[in-house]
Amino acid sequence: MAAVRSGGGPREADENTETHVTKPSLGGRMGLRPFAIRTIGAAVAAVVLALAGMIASASAAAPSEGDAKCLGCHGAPGLEKQLASGESLSLQIPGDAFAQSVHSVIGCTGCHTDIDPSSHPPAENSIGTKREFSIATVQVCRTCHSDEFEQWGKSVHAALVHEGNPGAPLCTGCHSPHAVIKGASEAMDTVPCKSCHGDIFTAYAASVHGVARSNGQTQAPLCFGCHGAHGVSVPSAGEGMKDVCLGCHTTALTAHRKWLPNAELHFDVVSCPACHSPKAERRVDLILYDSTAQREVSESAGVPEFESPTGSPTAKRPGLDPTTLWTLLKTLNRPGVEDKTSLKGRLEVRTGVEAHELAGKSAAISDCNTCHRAGAQAFQSVTVSVAGPTGIPVRYGASEKVLSSAFSIESIGGFYAIGGTRITFLDVLFVLALFGGIALPIGHLTLRWAFRWYLNRKPHEPRKG
Amino acid sequence: MHRIYVHPLPVRIWHWINAVACVMLVLTGVQIRYVGLVDVVPFRIAVVVHNWIGFVLIANFFVWFFFYLFSDKIRVYHPELNPIKYYRGNLRQLLYYGYGIFKGAPNPHHVSVYRKFNPLQSMTYQIIMLILLPIQCFTGILLWDLKRFSGMVAFFGGVRVVDTVHVLIFTVFVFYILFHAYLGTLGRTPSEKFKAMFNGFEEVEEGESADGTE
Repeated sequence: MAAVRSGGGPREADENTETHVTKPSLGGRMGLRPFAIRTIGAAVAAVVLALAGMIASASAAAPSEGDAKCLGCHGAPGLEKQLASGESLSLQIPGDAFAQSVHSVIGCTGCHTDIDPSSHPPAENSIGTKREFSIATVQVCRTCHSDEFEQWGKSVHAALVHEGNPGAPLCTGCHSPHAVIKGASEAMDTVPCKSCHGDIFTAYAASVHGVARSNGQTQAPLCFGCHGAHGVSVPSAGEGMKDVCLGCHTTALTAHRKWLPNAELHFDVVSCPACHSPKAERRVDLILYDSTAQREVSESAGVPEFESPTGSPTAKRPGLDPTTLWTLLKTLNRPGVEDKTSLKGRLEVRTGVEAHELAGKSAAISDCNTCHRAGAQAFQSVTVSVAGPTGIPVRYGASEKVLSSAFSIESIGGFYAIGGTRITFLDVLFVLALFGGIALPIGHLTLRWAFRWYLNRKPHEPRKG
Repeated sequence: MHRIYVHPLPVRIWHWINAVACVMLVLTGVQIRYVGLVDVVPFRIAVVVHNWIGFVLIANFFVWFFFYLFSDKIRVYHPELNPIKYYRGNLRQLLYYGYGIFKGAPNPHHVSVYRKFNPLQSMTYQIIMLILLPIQCFTGILLWDLKRFSGMVAFFGGVRVVDTVHVLIFTVFVFYILFHAYLGTLGRTPSEKFKAMFNGFEEVEEGESADGTE
C-alpha cells in the first residue's frame, strides 16, 4: 500500500492553512485597543496608548529616557548572547525601527516587565534555545492582545507549535516585536505570510485577487482576507474555503444556477479552485467521515491499512486498491461498532500553490466535459484522508481504479461524477445488452429467412453433374 | 378476417409518447454517460433534455396508470394466477418464437379485446410497467436533484447505489426497446402490429371470439 502524509511539515502545513473566519480588519486588530487589562504593566500601557495619537510623532522621534538607556546597550550592533544550545541570540534592537513601531509608545518595560533595571543584565539567565525563549516570551503579547492570542491558540499554527514543529510561527514569527508597523499586514510588500508561504504568495500575486490588490483595489483580499489573521485553520479540511469565497461572492450560487445543473451539489463536492484555477491539476480526496458524529475520522482509527503509510499521492504508486478500500470500510463498520464510517468525496486541486492561482471568471472551467468523461484528469489522482492531530488531513494514496470499480458501489457511496467515475462493470453490461438487442433480432430474422428458403425450395431438385 | 378495436386512443397516445420518450432518454442517457465516446450534443444540453423528458415520461406513466385503473381494460394486465396455465402459456409462446415461427406454425395466442397480450407479453409488460419503469422514474428523480433528496439517497446507500440501479434498468431498457421493436414485426405482416398501434385495430381470423377463445 502506498500512502503518505501530506502537510506534516511546516512548509506543507503552511500550504494547507485556511480559515473560516469572516474577513477581519487586521488594521483594527493590530492597533492597540483597551483590552482586558490583566496586569499593572498592561494598565499603564493602555493609558499610554490612549494618549498615543497625541504624542505619536513626538515619541517616534525621541525615545523616553528609560528606553534610551536600554538602547544605549541594545542599540549597539553585534550585541548577542551565546545560548546553551550553541545558538547565538541577537540582543540588538534597531533603535530607529523601534521608534517607528507602534510599540514604541509603551516603551521597553511595557513588555519586558521581568527586567529589573537595577540588576540588569543578570549574572545568570539560562536560555536553552532560541525557540524556547520565543515560546516563553510570546506570553507577553497575550497581556494586551488577548483576543488575538486566543484565536492563534486555536489555529493550525498553534497546533503545529504544540506538536513541536520548529518552523511554526509564534506571534514574533509574523510580527517583528520591535518593528511592528501599523498596516504592515495589509500591504502586499510587507505582508508577513509570504516569508514562509513564498511560493503561494507568488501564485496569489499573479492571481485575479493579487493583481486587483496590486492595482489598488483594497476590496480584493490579501492573505488575511480569506484565511484570517490569527485563527488560521486548515484550508483543505472539510469543505475547504467555500464559505470564505461565498462571503464575498454572495451571488455566486445564484449565478451558477443559471447554467450549472445541480449547482448546489457541485458547490458541496467541488472546491472553488478546482474550476477557478483552470491550469491546476485536480484530484479526488475521499474523506473518511464518521456519519454518526458528523465529523472526519481521526488518524487514531488504527486500522491495518493505515499503519504503515508510504509513498505519495503524487507519486505513481498504486496505493489503496478497490478491494483494500472496500475491506477498510468493512473493517471500520464491523458489527458492534456504533459510529458508522463512510467516504465523502471532494474534488480539489492538488497543492496550495494551485489553490491560489485563481483566474478571472471568464477563464474558469465551465466545460462539463472536463470532468464528466472517462479518463478525465481530475479522477486520475485519488487520496483517502483522515484528520491528523493538528487538523491537517493525513492523506494516503489510492488507485484511481477505486472510483470505477464495482466495489465502489458500496465503499464510495458519497462520491460519483456521471461519466467521469462510471463503473466499468456496468459498461460491460450495457455493451452486452446493446449487442444482444441487435444480434438476437438479426439472428432470429436470419433463421426465419433460412427456414423459409429451405421449406419453399423445390422438392427433389436434381443435382448437376 | 375481421377487425377488432383493441388499442383505445389514450393507450395509443401513451404508447407512442412513451416510446419516443424512452428512446430519447436512452439516447440522451448514452450521451450523458459516454461523453468522449459520443459527442452529438453537449453534456449540459443532454442533461437538461434528459431531465425534461424524464418528467414527460413520468406524467405519461400516469396517463397509462389512470386509464387502466378506471377502465375495464385493466383486464389485459390481469396476471394468470393458475400456475399450470401460466407456465403452459409461456412455454407455448416461447416454443412458437423459438421454433414454430420458423416452420410457419400459427401464433398460439389469439388477440382479443381483453386478452390482447400473449403470456410472455403480459409478463414482460407487468415487470416493466409495474416494477422497472416506476423504479427508473424514482431513481431518476433522486438523481435529478441529489441535494434535495440527499436524505433519501443516503437511506438507499448513497448516490452510487441509486445510479447503479438507474443504469442497470437503463441497460434492460436498451435491450427491451430493440427487441420489442423486432417482436412488433412478427405479425402476419411486418407492419401489421405497428399499424394497429396507430389506428387501434387488430385483424383477427374469422371464428376467433372476442374474448380470445376459439
